[in-house]
Amino acid sequence: MTSTRGDAPTAEDQSDSRRRLLAGGVAAVAFAAVGARSVSAARPRLSTTELDLLKYAQRFELTARDLYDEAISAGASDPLWEAMSEQHEAYAHGIAGLTGLSADSRNDDLFGQLRVSFRGDGALQAAYDLESAAVATHLEVIGTLVDVDAAELIASIISAESRHCVVLADVMGRGNELGMTLDNSAAPILP
Amino acid sequence: MSEKISPTIANSIFDRRSLLRRSGAVVGLGALLAACGKDFGGDTAPGRVGLADQATALPEGTINDALVVRTMQSLEHAVVAALQAMGAAGLYTSAQQTYIDRFIADHVSASDALGEAATAAGAEPYACPNPWFVDRYVTPVYDAVAASDDVARDTRSATLAFETMLAHSYQHMVGLLSEPAHRRLIMTLGSSASRRSALLSVLWTAPTHGYLGPALSDDATESDAAGFPIHYAVPASFGLVGQIPVLVGAPDAEGSRYGTSFQTPAENTFVYDYMSC
Repeated sequence: MTSTRGDAPTAEDQSDSRRRLLAGGVAAVAFAAVGARSVSAARPRLSTTELDLLKYAQRFELTARDLYDEAISAGASDPLWEAMSEQHEAYAHGIAGLTGLSADSRNDDLFGQLRVSFRGDGALQAAYDLESAAVATHLEVIGTLVDVDAAELIASIISAESRHCVVLADVMGRGNELGMTLDNSAAPILP
Repeated sequence: MSEKISPTIANSIFDRRSLLRRSGAVVGLGALLAACGKDFGGDTAPGRVGLADQATALPEGTINDALVVRTMQSLEHAVVAALQAMGAAGLYTSAQQTYIDRFIADHVSASDALGEAATAAGAEPYACPNPWFVDRYVTPVYDAVAASDDVARDTRSATLAFETMLAHSYQHMVGLLSEPAHRRLIMTLGSSASRRSALLSVLWTAPTHGYLGPALSDDATESDAAGFPIHYAVPASFGLVGQIPVLVGAPDAEGSRYGTSFQTPAENTFVYDYMSC
């Protein structure tokens, strides 16, 4: 038995398709317009100095991600390493979302300096030191940013990385040392 | 046959002359009322019932960097008041008291830094507990904890919630500040608050529930089997500014405990420039 509708679409179907096409086109144009407006509104808000600073912070976060991945490739099997890697990647993407700067490059010099320490027995201490330095670095960044949205984003990263320090101290077995958990004596790593 | 009309009906019929006469009277009356209305001259304010004193208008408060600094200073003192009250009541173990003493010292130090920032901004430091926060949170939570069926559990829970509230509040306040230097100070203190909160989670939550919250771990849950909220050391990827659930105290006749949520500062919590202590 064959279909009585045949292969050719009916006039009603053609009209429906055209309507959908038009609707889709309008939606696409509207979406593009909104997107263009949001991008054009976001860019001028941040000065060149702020964008440079945020790019530096973004590359710092990607460096941290790669260092945790380095530890994993060297045999660190605790799921915490993977979680920490993803945390820092999220921060880099957060900065990308705010600025439009692609999260595509790390700080190779910093990575080269710390890579070995993340592959050895002292990886936890290296991670603790890195997180502490990240907090100190972002505090310098937030003290320079004028844009409030950027400041809020960096503030949320500072809060989270401060917590990372405490967790890493505890994993090292030093969670009872108040100097380790509550104090941050690390120096910022600045450009 | 002639049609008879009863007198009653006849009186109610408008002929053209009476219609004109009556409409003229209506227009005239309207004009009279309108003219008199201009001279009523009475009080246009809403009427009052009873003999209570007149309401006093609230002074206008300005939200600026000094307000943020003073508000956070007041919250530091509010948390000190809570920790000292629980310590004085002997609710902490000796080991816990070691941490609490350090926390109190940190809060006092933070208050000093905030007071200096307030002075530098041309404002008066506010080195005393936030009255709104104490009335709504510190006092009822302390009362519930002290009367709890498990004082040790609720002391831990309340302490963790107070420290977490500070961490959330510092981060939240960044968005209200205009000076980058003030943001740096606030987040330096916010970082310390996050560390204190995380430390308590590491000590009291992690052994049972792990470090990572539900946003980061499939095994994590928002609350435990008994319904008590779990405060993780790392609850999410980014720092949080949301409310902190608190469930403490002995169950009532219906099995319910005292529950509340600590909030980050808002207009009702702010320490305005006209407030002093």
